Amino acid sequence: MLRKLAICLAAAASLSGVSVQAHAETVKIGVVLPLSGANAQFGINARNGIEMALEDLKAKGADVKLVYADVPEPNAAAAAVQRLVSRENVVGIVGSFASSITLAASEVTERTETPMITHSFADQITSRGYRYIFQVTPKATTFGEKQFQYAIDIAEKAGQKIDKIAIFYEDTAYGTAQAAGIRQAAKKAGVEVTIDDAYPLGITDVAPLINKLRRSDAQVVFPVSYFNDALLIIRTMRQQKIDLPVVGGAAGYIVPDFQKGLGEYAEDVYSIAPANYDALPEQAARYKEKYGVFMPHEALMYAAALEHMVEAVKIAGTTDPLKVRDAIAQLKKCDGFSAGIPGGCSAFGDTGLSATAFPIFVQWRGEDLVTVYPAETATAPARWAGKEVK
Amino acid sequence: MSALIQTLVDGVLIGGVYGVIAVGLSLVFGVLKIVNFAQAEFLMIGMYAGWFAWAHLGLDPIVGAFLALLIGFALGALCQRLFVQHILNAPAVAQIFLTVGLLTVLENGALLLFGSDFRTVRTPYQTIALELGPIFLSVPYLVAFVAAVAMSVLLFLLLNRTWLGRAIRATSQDRDAACLFGIDTRLIYTIAFGLGTGLTAFGGGIILSYAAVSPTAGAQFVVLMFTVVVLGGLGSVMGALVGGVIVGVIQSVSTLFMPIQLQNLVLFIVFITALAFWPQGLLGRAAR
Repeated sequence: MLRKLAICLAAAASLSGVSVQAHAETVKIGVVLPLSGANAQFGINARNGIEMALEDLKAKGADVKLVYADVPEPNAAAAAVQRLVSRENVVGIVGSFASSITLAASEVTERTETPMITHSFADQITSRGYRYIFQVTPKATTFGEKQFQYAIDIAEKAGQKIDKIAIFYEDTAYGTAQAAGIRQAAKKAGVEVTIDDAYPLGITDVAPLINKLRRSDAQVVFPVSYFNDALLIIRTMRQQKIDLPVVGGAAGYIVPDFQKGLGEYAEDVYSIAPANYDALPEQAARYKEKYGVFMPHEALMYAAALEHMVEAVKIAGTTDPLKVRDAIAQLKKCDGFSAGIPGGCSAFGDTGLSATAFPIFVQWRGEDLVTVYPAETATAPARWAGKEVK
Repeated sequence: MSALIQTLVDGVLIGGVYGVIAVGLSLVFGVLKIVNFAQAEFLMIGMYAGWFAWAHLGLDPIVGAFLALLIGFALGALCQRLFVQHILNAPAVAQIFLTVGLLTVLENGALLLFGSDFRTVRTPYQTIALELGPIFLSVPYLVAFVAAVAMSVLLFLLLNRTWLGRAIRATSQDRDAACLFGIDTRLIYTIAFGLGTGLTAFGGGIILSYAAVSPTAGAQFVVLMFTVVVLGGLGSVMGALVGGVIVGVIQSVSTLFMPIQLQNLVLFIVFITALAFWPQGLLGRAAR
């Protein structure tokens, strides 16, 4: 309560003109994203969301300027962040989609004491004891655990007991961490993992994996993949007439192109997700009108990240990095895009990891993704093996 | 046992496609003595050509692949005339920089023109497999394999039965002598380069029914292409096809006893061992 009061007083002081300077100046925020290269699509989606948040902020009279840096690979991250901090004098940084890029970028933000908010999943991001990095989303192992747990819950409600599962994952930081979460959760639940196979990123032939699946007696498949591999896995499964429930691991399973590429075969495919656009109907409609597709989670989350940072700068009433950092850490923001994050807010715990967010389950229905689990976030009932689950 | 047969079948089908993708690279090297690092980008261009033909003209990717062949040929011939021609006698470093530069330009050009989205086609046979007892024969793989083999046979006939083919081989063997015999070697260089890039683009067209295209699609095949070509013998057409099938089979069979993650490790161990014994590749140099 006292702290809140202090924040209010600080805000009031800043408004009353004691530190007019900060407000007279434009707030500059750096945006570090892969806008070219293999992850460009995700980077561009995130940018679309950030631009929408910027529109909203400007409509409310905030004077914010974004400085973009295109970082397609981790090795370009350090130089880009350094430039944003020392030459552009940004107050903070938002980015960088891929965990590997975020890890590299946050080394520099920590050293230069620049606050950074990210939506990357990797566990290491907030487990290194760094003070200037904030993660608006749960970590990868949590995604893996919930990916397993939600599926088991729904199957049980549908009257199916799961004893055997298969895990496929691409072998980057993201796939490996999330698969570890699934594996641990399965072990704890006493469920046998009959296939536990990593495959290289950029795989062009998944037939060997699906051949193995056909010969196994797994009841559910948990693939953690990007886009191309996700399509290959589903198509090859259909070729071999394997009709098991598929529970995807976010990334490739929740982009609009997944349905475009698979058509009817996308129907009822599950995925774990950090957020879904059906939680924010107004913003989702605006996004769809502007960009022609539904609002992907990375757009929503990075929009929330930017709003959180701008709000924190406003509360701090200064561009002093330490004060902005503390304001980010203390702020619990539950309006705007933050309201679309499961849990309804953006707020951070001691390590910088989100204190309120949890993963959700989405399922494909036609060209749309609907939230089906947990119950408090669901907008439609889940379907398991073709039947609706009450 | 059925698992082994299944992986062999998959490997052969996939490998045939590797062959036709790589044969273009082999041809360009055989005739122009240039290692074209940008070759895989023509695979990406071919995939885009096939995608647009499917999306706007309603053509099946296999038919679209012939359009990709023409576009790949035209673009390749143009690149040869404008850029490659000038560095044919330049030091190897200049050649490497030119083709690597071309790679970057083509990849980013595609990003500017087409955006970063993944694009895929939908075909009626995409999710069908023929069942032969316990063996599944993937129809999209089979279709791509047949198209790849047919194209390789056509190329073989072109090189061995036509005047143009003889002129290409003559130029490849001895440029000055070919010139003395009245062959316009500049024209042959342009045709050979265009044919090489066109064939790789054709390969891009035929894999479209099971692979997604994006500006970086070529990157996934670039190392495989070089492996296939070196294994088959640089400059050899049938060598590339055989090399492709070998690579496909090694990749596929290795998954029976190793994690799929390590399939390229197995491939390269075999590759390095093979080169230690047959440095010229497995099938010599038929095209030279």
